[in-house]
Amino acid sequence: MMKNRLTGILKGLAVLAVVLAAVPAAGDASGPRQTGGRTKRVSLPALRTAPALRAERPLVKRRGSRYSPDRVLVRFRPTVASEYAEGLLRSYGFPSFRRIPGIGVWSVGTAPGVTVIETLAMLRRNADIELARPDYRARLADVPNDAYFLSYQYSLRNLGGVLDIGPSVQPQITAGADIKAVPAWDAAKGDPELLIAIVDTGLDLSHPDLATKVYSSGYDFANDDDEADDDHWHGTHVAGIAAADTGNSLGIAGVAWNCKLLPVKVTDASGDGYYSWIIDGIIWAVDQGADVINISMGGEYNDAFLEDACKYAYDHGVVVVAAAGNDGGAGVLYPAAYDDYVLAVAASDYDDEIVSWSNYGPQVDVAAPGVYILSTAPRAYVGTGNPPYLFASGTSMAAPHVSGLAALIKSLKPGLSVADVMNVIRYTADDVNAATAPGLDDHAGYGRVNMERALTPYVIR
Amino acid sequence: MKRTYERMPRVLGLGIALAVLAGGASAAGLAVKPLAAGLSFDSLTRTVVWQGDEADSRLAASLFTARAELGLGGRGIVLGLFAGLALSDASGLVFRGLPISLQYDGSAVAGLAFGADLLAPITRLGEFEIKGAGRIVYMSGMSKTWPLEGFAVEGQAKGKPGWLEASVGPRVEYRFFGKVVPYVELSARWLTASFRMDETLGELEGSETKKVGGDFAFGAALGADAEVSRRVALRGRIGIMPFAGGVDTLATVGVLYRF
Repeated sequence: MMKNRLTGILKGLAVLAVVLAAVPAAGDASGPRQTGGRTKRVSLPALRTAPALRAERPLVKRRGSRYSPDRVLVRFRPTVASEYAEGLLRSYGFPSFRRIPGIGVWSVGTAPGVTVIETLAMLRRNADIELARPDYRARLADVPNDAYFLSYQYSLRNLGGVLDIGPSVQPQITAGADIKAVPAWDAAKGDPELLIAIVDTGLDLSHPDLATKVYSSGYDFANDDDEADDDHWHGTHVAGIAAADTGNSLGIAGVAWNCKLLPVKVTDASGDGYYSWIIDGIIWAVDQGADVINISMGGEYNDAFLEDACKYAYDHGVVVVAAAGNDGGAGVLYPAAYDDYVLAVAASDYDDEIVSWSNYGPQVDVAAPGVYILSTAPRAYVGTGNPPYLFASGTSMAAPHVSGLAALIKSLKPGLSVADVMNVIRYTADDVNAATAPGLDDHAGYGRVNMERALTPYVIR
Repeated sequence: MKRTYERMPRVLGLGIALAVLAGGASAAGLAVKPLAAGLSFDSLTRTVVWQGDEADSRLAASLFTARAELGLGGRGIVLGLFAGLALSDASGLVFRGLPISLQYDGSAVAGLAFGADLLAPITRLGEFEIKGAGRIVYMSGMSKTWPLEGFAVEGQAKGKPGWLEASVGPRVEYRFFGKVVPYVELSARWLTASFRMDETLGELEGSETKKVGGDFAFGAALGADAEVSRRVALRGRIGIMPFAGGVDTLATVGVLYRF
């Protein structure tokens, strides 16, 4: 009796196993000068309210399975008639399939209990089938909703067309001549704990596109006080490129969305400063915990003390990025020329060409867009009623693109040494002047920085 | 997400030991040849979450092995030893600890596989015979090198995978058909895996080892052993390992020659 019951249970288990098997698979002669002196005030952006931009942020889907677990895409050879293809798919026992018109591709539901890999292996053995692929997942790119991003910030994403700055300035720009920021932002937007020090003319501390990003009121070494407010325009502009408040539906997007800004004022209101102020500024920024220091200024004179300050930063794990200079001649300004400790940045344009006024020399590491760069401007500078944004050109504008990238790399890989971060930026650059100077050269260095290649995984195939 | 059970090796070990003990207590006298040799092909997939990853990825393996079976003590206990070649595919695995992150999406990496299995009778109820089954498989991948292209300097990545799977559970055989013995096998399966990736790009160097600390799954399989002749037998088995949101699979085919 007991034996018969056990036998019945075992038969039940056997049936259960069969049912389980059927479950579906699922930078002054006596001092430095700013290197971004080519400016153009802009009033037009105020007339453009960017009506096409939507206020809401796009949905971002994080990576899960890379493709549909129960569907594949198949294309038959051109000689295979549609009716025959349908019959063939039916003979495989696929529970569902439909033809996508126009390109002769079939979307095929996998059989219950059979994985996509197994289904593809089976289909690829059929001589009538030209191509069988997984149905990969797509996602919306994390495009910032900042008002001027789409129309003016070609340096971050260049879709080509005309850069409509005003009636007299409407250059045709080349699609793809950018630093590939959008796909890179999917990998990193920056650590809010990470500090980018802007060693410059100060910063409009209450600028609507910067206020939330300012870590502290900084320090003013020109006036020796603890409020690095901008009485020029340069520092505010540089800061916005590196890390303006992004995704706030306002103004521009910064390279390092989430990183904070540390203003360090080292020039007077005319935009001139002394090496001692810069040295003080670098040391102070390092001691305040800066992770990246942007110096969009420089001088012609090599100075051991300035070099020591850069070495101090380097030895403390701080990446220093500086502008190469805008004289258009041989000779990179200091501190950019301190090759061991500082990344020297040249300027490229909207066509990925290295501009003629960008200084050159063997110390140039990389290039970044530095022509007609829209960024934040002090409200006192633009005047009441004008939007606090300016277009400016110079290696000063190129450098903060690289500083932002350095901050993102440090955010994503905090364990990397300064030398490693500098090399990642160098090695992942696009050799945009390969046609005239292939490889490492004095004008573009390793090339125009490529954020996507620096931040997203390289796929081994 | 699948759970990790760190104590599973002990549990599985105990299970195998109990199976052996049980085998020693019953089913004496079954016609088990003392020595056999053969070839087999195994295919298995395991959906795992590598340490540090937010999403799961699939580890697929194929094993081509030669095996020897030894009947122990005339009690129907069969010990199998096998060794051969293996192909291991961990597509989708991302190494974010390297200076330049790498996503492995390449072809399978070849390696050596070896292991042992044990089948021990426990009891017989009419046409049904219950056995304890245990199996351990280790795969040691050979280093494979890929060039890193598109950078300003030359570079390469070198990867080496490896994994170990242990399983234990009951097998219920239906002996009604004589020479063909279908069976249902339930198993508790524990997997540990590692994949080391070394990167060299100009002056940049990095190394990262991704690991699966111990992934546990339950599996159910249907199989059959068929005697083609007095000395030759064929084997086949297909199974599934369900998990939240999907199912992993396993399959085995083989031929055995009894001496």
